[in-house]
Amino acid sequence: MSSPTRFKKTSLIALAIAIVLIIVGIVVNLLPIPDDSMWRVLFGVSTLNFTLRATVPLALGAMAGILCERTGIINIGIEGMMLAGAYAGFVAKVATNSWPLMPSLLFGVAAALLAGAAMGYIHALFSIKFKMDQIISGTFLILLAGGLTAYLFNPDMVAEGKFSPIAIPFLSKIPVIGDIFFNNPPITYTALILVAILHVALFHTKWGLRSRAAGEHPRAADTVGINVNFYRYMNTTLGGMVAGLAGGFLVLEAVGQFQEGMTAGRGFISLAAMIFGNWMPFGALGAATLFGYTQGVQNALLLAGVVNIPRHFISMLPYLVTIIAVAGFVGRVRPPAAEGKVYETEGSSE
Amino acid sequence: MGNFSLRRLFRSLLIPILAVITALIVGAVIMWLAGDNPIAAYKGLFQGAFGSARGWATTIRKWSPLLLTGLSVAIAFQAGLFNIGASGQFMMGTIFSVWVGINFADMPAIIHVPLAISAGILGGLLWGAIPGILKVTTGAHEVITTIMLNYIAALFAGWTVYAGGSQGQKPGPLWDPAAKAISQTPPVVESARIPFIFGPPYRVHWGIALAIITIFVMAWIIYKTTIGFELRTVGQNFKASKYAGIRVGWTIILAMMLAGALAGMAGAIETLGVNFKFAPEFGGSVGFDGITVALLGQTNPFGVGLAAFFLASLAAGGAKMQFDSGVSSDIIQVINALLLAFVAAPAIIRYIYRIRKSPEEQETTPKISWGG
Amino acid sequence: MRKSTLFILLALLLVSVVALSACGGKATPTQAPAEEKPAAEATQAPAVEATEAPAMEKKEFKVGLVTDVGRINDRSFNQSAWEGVKMAADKLGLTENDIKYIETKDAKDYADNINQFVENGYNVIISVGFALGDATHQAATENPDIMFIGVDQFQADPLPNYAGLIFPEDKAGYLAGVLAASLDKTGTIAAVLGTDLVPPVVAFKEGYEAGAKATKPDIKLISTYHPGELSQAFVDPEWGAATAKQAMDQGADVVFGAGGMTGNGALQEVAAAAEAGKEVYCIGVDTDQWETLPAAHPCLVSSAMKLITPGVAELITKAAAGDFPGGNYVGDVGLAPFHDFEDKVPQDVKDLLAKTKEGLLDGSIDTGYHPGG
Repeated sequence: MSSPTRFKKTSLIALAIAIVLIIVGIVVNLLPIPDDSMWRVLFGVSTLNFTLRATVPLALGAMAGILCERTGIINIGIEGMMLAGAYAGFVAKVATNSWPLMPSLLFGVAAALLAGAAMGYIHALFSIKFKMDQIISGTFLILLAGGLTAYLFNPDMVAEGKFSPIAIPFLSKIPVIGDIFFNNPPITYTALILVAILHVALFHTKWGLRSRAAGEHPRAADTVGINVNFYRYMNTTLGGMVAGLAGGFLVLEAVGQFQEGMTAGRGFISLAAMIFGNWMPFGALGAATLFGYTQGVQNALLLAGVVNIPRHFISMLPYLVTIIAVAGFVGRVRPPAAEGKVYETEGSSE
Repeated sequence: MGNFSLRRLFRSLLIPILAVITALIVGAVIMWLAGDNPIAAYKGLFQGAFGSARGWATTIRKWSPLLLTGLSVAIAFQAGLFNIGASGQFMMGTIFSVWVGINFADMPAIIHVPLAISAGILGGLLWGAIPGILKVTTGAHEVITTIMLNYIAALFAGWTVYAGGSQGQKPGPLWDPAAKAISQTPPVVESARIPFIFGPPYRVHWGIALAIITIFVMAWIIYKTTIGFELRTVGQNFKASKYAGIRVGWTIILAMMLAGALAGMAGAIETLGVNFKFAPEFGGSVGFDGITVALLGQTNPFGVGLAAFFLASLAAGGAKMQFDSGVSSDIIQVINALLLAFVAAPAIIRYIYRIRKSPEEQETTPKISWGG
Repeated sequence: MRKSTLFILLALLLVSVVALSACGGKATPTQAPAEEKPAAEATQAPAVEATEAPAMEKKEFKVGLVTDVGRINDRSFNQSAWEGVKMAADKLGLTENDIKYIETKDAKDYADNINQFVENGYNVIISVGFALGDATHQAATENPDIMFIGVDQFQADPLPNYAGLIFPEDKAGYLAGVLAASLDKTGTIAAVLGTDLVPPVVAFKEGYEAGAKATKPDIKLISTYHPGELSQAFVDPEWGAATAKQAMDQGADVVFGAGGMTGNGALQEVAAAAEAGKEVYCIGVDTDQWETLPAAHPCLVSSAMKLITPGVAELITKAAAGDFPGGNYVGDVGLAPFHDFEDKVPQDVKDLLAKTKEGLLDGSIDTGYHPGG
């Protein structure tokens, strides 16, 4: 079994990317470099701000994936869970438009969490109780959320207001870093903190040890008295909640409105981030940052009007990088050993 | 498939039929809750698909792509592989066939049409081979690689017809300059178009015949040839097949190539028989529908044919349903999703209807894990 | 036992979400789409006008509309076209049973959706969006007795029963560019756009940039298209919003959002910044977005409009009167009213805009946008 905090190579690479970005960003933005230089385009505050904003839903999605997959439940349905969360958050917000802004938004967040949890629970129920193939169950969630939200959504519903940035005293005054990290709306902070919490929880608590045992060696875990399926139910539901929060981020914090299919493939990129980050919270955050940064740079280049390669090829990057990662060209990633396998305790039946 | 008996046939049809009924009922409940009239909706749906000659024509036109992508997913399932990549392979088939289809204007149709379809098959086959080769050589799971390849294929296809940008970006190689700012290919030349069985306004083309022949070919390959035997053996018992002397790696690649070829063929037939051009909006959810079709058809080629026909009729009736009852055709995707759930987990259906599992019955859906 | 309880809870949750949506949204029965509240312009013609209209003989006259992939009430071009249908229906004294729409869900269904109206004996069929051009052309060839109106569909080989309602979007964009450059103080303006796979978006952008450059030659223009595939490009408001933020971070103080929901995302982001006290403006697209996107009010100076509604209404009226013009029919473009920003826009800018519009109309001002040649 892997030792708790052993970072695999990909994980380190991903993390290194995030750190390098931040350092270069600080240096570039503090030095008197002319505004139209390439450095400013690639590492300007605007690009890094965009990066963080694009990273948040990806990171949350990846955390959702990690929660499920660490206990042995494959989750390709993150996209569907996100969309369900987004829609539920939106409906709740619209229904409470007459309330004061903050309670109404928090109610929206609660609804997003609940809808995500419901999706996660359905996924667990199908995978564990009804022994559905977990990939098909994930596909089902994507199709269901896509179809149902499109069927129910009416563009005449309008949500009023969204979360606004909260500047953290003192910290937000730090040049560059303050602008990027300490002047954000609440879900962004939550997402970043969640990554750290999940890391600690997974590798330094009993819950984490048991969850991982359920995903790596369910038989052995069962022998020492861990209720494997209970952990699978719980973590998949929790994972759904986190994915729902990503949806809530899109509706209640980023845009302020719902739109059919507004997750726009972010769930799949989250999946990629999770794999590229080797099922490690910080690794996945690094990968999500990298993918977010590709989008930010792509925009920056287009905004600066200096792109000659067709943008289609730049957009392919996250997908190519993922294939390279799973194919093991950068040190092979390793999923939890018992993933996708139904675990039946002795003598259990339908 | 062993000795044939009526009871067995009934048993194998029971779950899919109950799944269809249950999905329709749950769909109706959702419509009712949302304030729509489910009876009017289903009436419109049925009339749209079968109520007129045009309805039948639409159903048949929509049948072939669903049938072929369903077969694509099914053959991969037979080998224990999960092909989520049908939409990417479909896209590559489209691009390859449209390239042949818009060139070689002087070629006689008797050569041009088969050549263009073959090109589509080749495009899908090559795109399908990538995840197969990656799986065998590096262990990369095909679900992840095919999802990623879908996006890459869509972006690549978009680029080939890209009209160029104002900031000096070059247009794509297949873009039609006559379309000016519109990103699309030139129309497929007359000689590369699949001829109609029933001309306009019905526009039913001979591609459907080709698709039906393909059912028999696939059934023959799966059940009557050594390749098919090896494929099924690998699918049923990975380890044992290794000891039995089957070239497992080669079989996996072959299965993915076949799957890709079928999806590519679907793309080619849609392009040469229906759309006559490629534009980025012709992507669609054909890949996910293929999964539902394959599972509803219990991964058996003939079952897939029936399942595809059912889904095609749902898709064909959508317009009439909306026209008659005002119910948004988004509900069809909900029904498809429910259908997928119920056929993929027969346990749900057994649970609802309290059906006991017969001892000789085996699960048709494969169990897949990342590790492989 | 425990699990079945949870299952019931889950079902209840689903039911409540569905029910909530039903209350919030579908209050008006979908069966009678004509009853929908007129969200934008007050197109409900008073009774006086109805009587003024030439007395139609009681012959049945039915009008059908096929949307591009999207909603009838998308607060954008589908909705504008549908309002055109309703406007014409009021004028011609048609009842709500005589007008109908079908929402397209998949580009492959264009032809089938048009056929629904053909089969049901509709007299005029409107298809919205350039992508429906091929399907509409085919239907028009096969059904010479039915009149077709194609919004945004340029006619290369005109048919007598098929009118393409096209708009010089570059001119509307040009006006928006003049306005943006006039309001700009930082020397940087931006455009957040749908996709360059769609010609009208490109035309808006090119016109916008030309107009801005003509007003302030040294202005810095930053504009970007959505990087994804076509299916995502118009429905990704978060990308639009984040990109608008990025543009504002780079100093842009006027943002032109053109690209369906993606563009709307950009407008809402700028509105949030304006609300927070930043001096930034945004310009909408297609319709007067003051009416369709209230969330953008804090920043929305104006919109680069394509007057789809009157264009569609006029063509339907002509069809009813029997002098249907086949071929290309150029609709009007222009800037939407300034609404609350009436006082913020100086008189000399208004004069400049009026002069520019005149110049664009008589051809003395060229936007420089000539696709394909």
